Amino acid sequence: MKNLKYLSFALITLFSFISCENDLETAPTNQADEAEVFKTAESAETVINGTWAKFNDDGTSYANIGYSTVLRASDAMGSDVAVLTNKYGFPGAYAFTDLVNNTGSRPLYIWNSLYSVINNMNNVIARIDAAEGSQEKKNQVKGQAKALRAFCYFNLASFYQFSYLKDKNALTAPIYTEPTTTSSVGKKKASLEEIYTLIKSDLTDADNLLQNYTRNNKDKIDRSVVNGLLARVYLNTGDWTKAVTSAKIARNGYALMTAEKYKDGFNDITNGEWIWGHGQTQEQSGESYAFHFLDVSSSGSYYYSFMADPYFKDLFDTNDIRYSLFSWDGNPGREGLLRYAKFKFKANLIADIVFMRAAEMYLIEAEAEARNGNVTNAVTVLNQLKSARNTNVYSGSLTQNDVIKEVLIERRKELFGEGFSLSDIIRTQGTVTRKSYTNSNGQAIQVQVTTPAGVVKTVNGRGHTIFAFPDQSMFVANSRYYLFSIPQKEIENNPNL
Amino acid sequence: MISKGLINSKIWIPPVAVFFLGIISVQGQETKKDTLREKEIDEVVVVAYGKAKKTSYTGSVATISSEKINNRPVTNITKALEGQVPGLQAVSSSGQPGSTASIRIRGIGSVSASSNPLFVVDGIPFDGNINSISPNDIESISVLKDATASSLYGSRGANGIIIITTKSGKKGEARVNFNISQGFSSRAVKDYEQVSTDQYYELYWEAMRNGYKSGQVSPQQAAQMATDNLVNALGINPYGAGYPNPVGTNGKLLTGATALWNDDWKDILQRTASRSQVDLDFSGGNEKSNYFFSLGYLDDKGIAIESGFKKYSTRLKINSEVKKWLNVGANLAYTNSLQEAPPSSDSRTDNVINAARVIPSFYPYYERNADGSYKLDSSGNYIYDFGKYRPTSALQNENAAATLPLDKNENREDNFSGKGFAEFTFLPELKFRTSFSVDLVNYNGHYYTNPLLGEGAEIGGSVTKTNSRTLSYTTSNILTYDKKFGQHHINILGGQEFYHYEYQTISGSRSQFSLPYYYEPDAAALLGGFSGSSDKLGLLSFLGKAEYDYQNKYFLSGSVRSDGSSRFSPENRWGTFWSVGGSWKASNETFIKDLNLFNQLTLRASYGGQGNDKLSTYYAYQSLYTFYNNLGEGGTVASKLPTPDLKWETNLNLNVGLEFAILKNRIKGNVEYFQRQSKDLLFGMPLAPSLGFTDYQANIGELKNTGFEFSLFTTPIKTSDFEWNVDLNLSTLKNEITKLPKGSIVSGTKLLQVGGSIYDFFIPEWVGVDPNNGNPLWKTITTDANGNTVEGTTSEYAKATKTLQGSSLPKVMGGLTTSLAYKNFDFSTLVTFSIGGKILDTDYTMLMHNGSSGGRAWSAEMLNRWTPENTNTDVPILSTTTNNWTSTSSRFLYSGTYARIKNVSLGYTLPSDYFGKLGLKKFRVYVHAENLLTFYKHKGMDPEQTLDGTTYYRYPAMRTITFGLQATL
Repeated sequence: MKNLKYLSFALITLFSFISCENDLETAPTNQADEAEVFKTAESAETVINGTWAKFNDDGTSYANIGYSTVLRASDAMGSDVAVLTNKYGFPGAYAFTDLVNNTGSRPLYIWNSLYSVINNMNNVIARIDAAEGSQEKKNQVKGQAKALRAFCYFNLASFYQFSYLKDKNALTAPIYTEPTTTSSVGKKKASLEEIYTLIKSDLTDADNLLQNYTRNNKDKIDRSVVNGLLARVYLNTGDWTKAVTSAKIARNGYALMTAEKYKDGFNDITNGEWIWGHGQTQEQSGESYAFHFLDVSSSGSYYYSFMADPYFKDLFDTNDIRYSLFSWDGNPGREGLLRYAKFKFKANLIADIVFMRAAEMYLIEAEAEARNGNVTNAVTVLNQLKSARNTNVYSGSLTQNDVIKEVLIERRKELFGEGFSLSDIIRTQGTVTRKSYTNSNGQAIQVQVTTPAGVVKTVNGRGHTIFAFPDQSMFVANSRYYLFSIPQKEIENNPNL
Repeated sequence: MISKGLINSKIWIPPVAVFFLGIISVQGQETKKDTLREKEIDEVVVVAYGKAKKTSYTGSVATISSEKINNRPVTNITKALEGQVPGLQAVSSSGQPGSTASIRIRGIGSVSASSNPLFVVDGIPFDGNINSISPNDIESISVLKDATASSLYGSRGANGIIIITTKSGKKGEARVNFNISQGFSSRAVKDYEQVSTDQYYELYWEAMRNGYKSGQVSPQQAAQMATDNLVNALGINPYGAGYPNPVGTNGKLLTGATALWNDDWKDILQRTASRSQVDLDFSGGNEKSNYFFSLGYLDDKGIAIESGFKKYSTRLKINSEVKKWLNVGANLAYTNSLQEAPPSSDSRTDNVINAARVIPSFYPYYERNADGSYKLDSSGNYIYDFGKYRPTSALQNENAAATLPLDKNENREDNFSGKGFAEFTFLPELKFRTSFSVDLVNYNGHYYTNPLLGEGAEIGGSVTKTNSRTLSYTTSNILTYDKKFGQHHINILGGQEFYHYEYQTISGSRSQFSLPYYYEPDAAALLGGFSGSSDKLGLLSFLGKAEYDYQNKYFLSGSVRSDGSSRFSPENRWGTFWSVGGSWKASNETFIKDLNLFNQLTLRASYGGQGNDKLSTYYAYQSLYTFYNNLGEGGTVASKLPTPDLKWETNLNLNVGLEFAILKNRIKGNVEYFQRQSKDLLFGMPLAPSLGFTDYQANIGELKNTGFEFSLFTTPIKTSDFEWNVDLNLSTLKNEITKLPKGSIVSGTKLLQVGGSIYDFFIPEWVGVDPNNGNPLWKTITTDANGNTVEGTTSEYAKATKTLQGSSLPKVMGGLTTSLAYKNFDFSTLVTFSIGGKILDTDYTMLMHNGSSGGRAWSAEMLNRWTPENTNTDVPILSTTTNNWTSTSSRFLYSGTYARIKNVSLGYTLPSDYFGKLGLKKFRVYVHAENLLTFYKHKGMDPEQTLDGTTYYRYPAMRTITFGLQATL
C-alpha cells in the first residue's frame, strides 16, 4: 500500500517536471523573424511586396485607405471637383479644414503611411547587399526599394511645402536613409533642395539598377515607372529638358488608349495606357473603396461625392469623347448635380487604382517643352493627346503663356479625379477657383434632369458650395491651407523637428 | 423521496410561474442570514493554494457570499461584484447581454500591460470565458488584494486575484434547488434630448446660409441659396409638396408648414426586452464523498433589436476520499452560449445603438409619399426606407430594422472547463496535491449580411465565418507541511506550476449569394479571403511559502515565486517575486479581552512584489515582419522593433489593515491602507512617427497607486423576527507617476509626467464662444520673443494648447447595502456611488456638430447657438463648414459623480406549513430590480463609464425588473 502511494507520487512528479522550459520558446505564426526575411534577395523582395500592399490597402477609416487617400484629397482641394459636403470622407478636405488641422486623423494617416514605407525601404536598401542571391536579383530589389522611397519623399516634397520654384530652401520634412532602431531619434526638417537631391539620386540609381528588369505586373516598379517619376520630379524642379527626356522614356510602349476606351471606367490596370497602378482582387480590395467617392454613376457607389463643377464641363468641346461622360443627376436627393462618369466600379465593387498613365507623360512633355520655349513641340505633343480624345486640336496663339495655359487646362480635363489638382496648384503657384452656379442675379441656373421614373423636369443646377477658406478669406496662391500639416504626434515626439 | 418531491414540484410549479410571471433565483441557502453573519467571526476564507482564518490572515482579502451574488439578475459574476468590495472597481461599460464588466483591483498598476485580475476557480487559475461560470454555481468569492494574498500566484496575480469557490455537495440528505425567473429590460437612463423637426429645419437653414456667405456671396444671396437648397441638402421634405422650400429667406418656417411625420427611430430599433432564467441543482454526500450537479438556462435579450445572449450550462463536481491517504476530486463544467451581437459600439454606421440616436425623426423608417402616406409594396406591406437620399451623417443606405432580422451577428461559444486533483497524505502533517486544470474554448463567429436589402444587396450578400480554439492548462504540484509544536504552528508549502496557452484561429469570407435565406459560405459564389494563425504562450513557475503563528496571536508569513515567461528573451525571462506579512490578533491578548470592548481586533501588514508580463503581444522581444501578401505574391512588412532588453514589470504592494468587531459583533469593520508601486512599467514608448514606427515596448518608469479602503457591517436592529443590516464600503484611490525617462509623454487624451497621474486629462481648454463672431475659442499658451509665457485664445483648434484639465479618477467610490428581514419578508438594496472624476463625453459631441454633419440629429442644447442676437453662449455659430468645436476639449468634460440604485430585491418566503407536505423545504417568491434609478447630472450619458473617463458609443446599461420563485426540496 505504502509503495503504491509513493510510486504514484513519484510518477506524477516525474511527469510534471519533464521539462516545460522548452515551451518557453515561442514564435508568432503570422509574423516572420527579421533574420529570415533578409536571408536571401528573394525573401527580401517580400518586404517590397508587403510594404506596397499595406501602403495601398491598409487604412485607418473608410476615408483613409491606402495611398489613394492622398490623391483623393488633392482633387477635393482643387477647383474641378464639387465635393458633396453632406457625404462622408472628403468634405473637410474640400473646405480646407482637414489637412491644415494637425490634430486630425488624415494628416496623421498620410504621414505615418509615407514614413512607414520609407523605413521599410531603408531596411531593404541597408540589408540587401548582405543577402544571399544573384546580383541581378539584388539590383532589382534595391532599385525598386530606392524608387519607392523616392516616391514617398516626392509626395512629402509635393504636399508639405510650396513649390520648389518658389523657395527651394524651405524646410519641409525630415529625411531618413537608415533603418530605424529603438535608439533612433526624430530628425529635423530638411529643405526641398535636400529632399529633391535625395529623390533624384535614388531615382537615377533605380534607373540603372532596373536596366535588365522586366516586371510581371504593373504594380511593380520598372524603368518606365522610374522615368515617369523622374519626369514629375524634373517638372517640379524646373529641369525642363530632363523632364521631356524622362517623360518620353516613361511612355515608351504605352500607347494612348482609343477614344471609346476612355469610357470604360478607369478601373482596369490592363488598360494599355496605364504605366503604374494598383490591381485589386476580390480578396485584396481595400483601395477600391476610393471608388465610392469617385464613382458618381454606379448604383453601388456609396457616397458618389466627387461631382463635377458645372463650369468644368464648359472647358470641353462637345465632340470630345470626355464630354459624353457628363450628365445631370435626376436621382432623389441628387437632382441638379453634375456627374462626370469617368470612374466606374467593376463588378462586385472592386476597381484598380491608376497612378501613372501615358497621357500624363504627354502632358509633362508638352508643358516642359512649352516652359523651355519650344512651343511648337509643345503644341504637337499636346495635339497628339487631344486627337486621341476626339477633341479639337489646339490652333490658337503660340505665345508661351497661352500654350502653357492650354496645357494646364488639358491636364485638368485629362487627369480629373486622378489626384493632380492640388499638387498642380502648389507646383504652378496657382489658386483654387470656385464660383457658385448662379446667374448674374444670384439665382440658381436651371438644368434639365430625368428622374429614375423617366420624368423630365427642370431643377436648380448645383455646383460648388464652398467659396472661401475657413477663416472666410478669399482663395489665393501659396496659401497655407493648401499644405498638408505635419501631425501633432510628430511635433510632440520629435524634439528636433 | 427526492423523485416524488421532484414530480410534485414539476406539476405544481408551472402555474405559479405563470402567476408570478416567472422569477429569478436565489440559492436554497438553508442558513439564515443572521447565522451566516455570525459565522464570519471565525470565517474561513479561500486564499492562494489553500484556506485561512480570515481574522488571523496576514493578507488583505474580502469575501462575497453566494447570497449577495444570487440576489442579482446578472448574467455573469463580473457584474455582481460592482459596489460589493472596497478597492474593487467593476465597470460595466456595455449593456450588451453577455458582455462582461471590466474589473480593476486597487487601480491600474500598468499602462501597456493588462490590468485584469486573475480568476481562480477552486484553487486553480481559470482561463476560460468568465461568462461560462454560472453565478448559480458559486459558493463564495474571495478577492485577494495585497502581496501576501496574491504573490503566491506570482506574475499571474499582479492585478489582484478573484477566487471563486463553486458549490459542493454537503453531507446528509440530498437536496434539490429549483429557480425560475422572468424579467423585463429597458434602458437605465434616457438618451440625450434632441431638437424637433421644425427646429432642425430652421437651424440647418441658418447653418447653410452662414456657410455660403463669403466675399463673393452676399448675405441676401446666401439666404436665397439656403432656402433653395435646404431640402436638397437634407435629402427630404417632411412638409410635403405644398411647401417645396419650407423655410423662407428670413430663416423661419413658412406659416402653415407642418411636418407630416415624426418617426422616432428608437421605436423600431429598441424594445423592452425579456430575460428568462432557470436553474436546477442537485447535491448531496456521505462521509467519504459528495457531489454537486447543476443545470442552467438563460435567455437574456437586449434592448437593441436582434441582440441577446442565450446560455446552457452544466457543472458536475465530485470529491471523494478513495483511500485513507488519497483524496481525489473532479469539477467539470460545460457551457454553450450564443450571443447575438449586432454592432453596438464605436462610430461605425451600422451601430444599432447609434442609429437610434443620430437619425432625426424627419427621416421616415418606412417609405412615404410626399403627402406623408406610406408607400406599400405589392402585398400591401410597408417598405423599409433605406434613405439612399440621406446625407451620410444620417446613415444613408442603412435601415437596421430591416436588415438586422435578415442578417446574422452570432458568436457561439463552447466552454469546457475541467479540473481534477489528487491529494496524497503521507503523514497527517505532510500532504502532496497535484492538480490539473484545462479550459477549452471553442468560438464560432457567423457574420452574414443579407443579399436582399441594404448594403449587402449590391454585392449579393456576404458571410464571414471565424473559428477559434483556445486551449490553456495549468498543472501544479504542491507539497505542504503543517505542524503544531505546543504553542507554535508552522505551515510550509512548496511546489511548481506550469501554464500553457495556445490559440488557433481561422476565418474566411465569401460573397455573392445566389439565393436568399442561405447563410453559409457554401451558398456564396465568390471567395473573399481566408486567414488563420496561431499563438502559444508558456509560463513556468516555482513557488514556496512559510507561515508561522504563536499562541494564535502572532502570525508571520513569507512567500517566494519564480516565473519564466515566454514573452521575454531568454536573458530576461525569469523574474523572482516575494512577499512577507504579519498579523497580530490583539483580541486574543488578555489585556484586550479585559477591556470587554472588542469581540475581535486584528492588525495586519504585508509587503511584497509581483510581476506583470501581460503585454498585448506574446512575442515582446523579437524583431518582426508581418505577412502582408500582394496580389498572389508573398509580402512582409516591418511590424516590430527588437526589444531584447524588455523585462518584467514589478508591482510592489504595501498593505496595512485593522479589523475589528464590537457590541457583540453588531458593528464590524475593516480599514486598510495600501500602496501599490509599479516598477519597470511596461509602456509603448512613443517614437516620432517619421521614424516609421509609432512606438516600441519598453520598461519606462514607475507608478504609484495609494488608497484607503473602509468597510463597515452593522446590525442596528436584531430581534427574533426583525433584523436590519446596513453595510457600507468606501475606497479612495490616488495614482501618481513617480519616474519617467523623459519629461512627459502624451498618451491619448492623457499626459504622463512625474507627479501627475495616468488619469490626467491633457486636452485643450475651452474658453467659450467669441461674442463678436460666434467662433469657438480655446486657450493658447505661447512663448514670446522675450521668453515670456503669453496666454491667448484661438479659434483654430489645431493652434490650441493642451493643458491639464483634471482627472478621470473618482475621489471616492463605494457601495451601501441595506437589508431588512421581517418574519417571512426580506428586502435589500444596493446603492453604488462614485464621487469626483471627469468624463469626456464624445458620444454627445456627435449631436453637437455645428452643421458640418448635416442630417445628423442635433442635441437640444444647439438651440442656444450663437447668433447676432444671442451672443452670450457657449455654443458657437452654425455653419456647414466645420469649426472643429466638437474636438476634444474641456467643453465636453462632465462630472462623473453619480449614485445608482444598482439593485433592489423584495422576497417573501411562504410559511413552511403550506409546503411541508409536498416535501418542499423552502418556497420563496420575489422581485428584483437592477439599475432601478440613477442620479447624475449630465443627462443622456450613462455615468458608468470606463476608468479612463472616455465614452465610446456603447450599448447603454439596462434596467431589468425580474420576478422569480425559488424552491428547495
